[in-house]
Amino acid sequence: MSEPAASPEPAASPEPAASPEPAASPEPAASRPDSTRTGPGRLLVAVYGLFALSASARAGVQIATKFGHAPVAYLLSAFAGVVYIVATVTLSNGSPIARRIAVLSCSIELVGVLAVGTWSLADRASFPDATVWSGYGSGYGFVPLVLPVFGLLWLRRWARRSRFGGTIVTSAQDTGEAAGGGLAHGESGASGQGADGASGQGADGASGQGADDVVADGRT
Amino acid sequence: MNGAVPTTIIVAGLALAGYALLMTALNRRMNVPLLAAVGVLEILLLVEVGLIVAKLAGGQRPAGLATLIGYLIATPIVPVVAAFWGLMERSRWGPAVIAVAGLVAAVLMVRLHQIWPVIHV
Repeated sequence: MSEPAASPEPAASPEPAASPEPAASPEPAASRPDSTRTGPGRLLVAVYGLFALSASARAGVQIATKFGHAPVAYLLSAFAGVVYIVATVTLSNGSPIARRIAVLSCSIELVGVLAVGTWSLADRASFPDATVWSGYGSGYGFVPLVLPVFGLLWLRRWARRSRFGGTIVTSAQDTGEAAGGGLAHGESGASGQGADGASGQGADGASGQGADDVVADGRT
Repeated sequence: MNGAVPTTIIVAGLALAGYALLMTALNRRMNVPLLAAVGVLEILLLVEVGLIVAKLAGGQRPAGLATLIGYLIATPIVPVVAAFWGLMERSRWGPAVIAVAGLVAAVLMVRLHQIWPVIHV
């Protein structure tokens, strides 16, 4: 629970189809900018946190009590736990640097689940006990396989939006944080919004915040 | 050990998850009824933890005692953390966090049974 502040009003939500009553709770007092931890990111961080806890706690118990039984599996579990912790922290932080680290850890996670999944099926002798990633995460409802995909999609979407003039970047604080880029690449912010198919909300958010957010985030 | 409480938790957890996902689908935010439902789940989980602790106090031990204790600590924390995290969200994704907690509660009951088969489900 690293973040005490509530998120800003719904119009600032990264989810374009968000609630239809943006005027209902303006909450201008919310001090923190919108971030990768809000909107769908709230769910992502929750699930990442769950896996960070379960994978690392499980690996800790296994390594402490019966390391010799399946050292490869337990070390891989511990590695997975670390990757989940990094993803949880960086996604809930949401600064540009944290987002880059999150992209890296989600990528490692995706490669890891695919590699370990294949390895565990090909060489069962090395895995007398399961890891989070063996069988492509089948012991965990394949959530470990799906999670990095959603994580990367979410991060890509967020990076794009902030690059295109940032309907997500909602405060002067965050604008300063994201300073540096020029106005970005061919596409306009409007078309980026339109692609998400929520024209009403998109237009609303853009007009509400566009004035504050001329500075585009050039780093992705 | 009577399996009524874990079975109730599984049903309640899945029902909570279904209700919360419906709220997400209908674009609703966190509200009082949903929080009350989380509270009910929390009470049920605390009852189950109490039953297991009583069993441990009675002298019985599972093979994986450390794992079981970890689960006993983590289980009641899940709905509390989910409620706080979901309340911070001002959109449909708050209830989605609650849905995760409901599913996790159900899964935890199955896992507890796997860790210590005397805990029936």
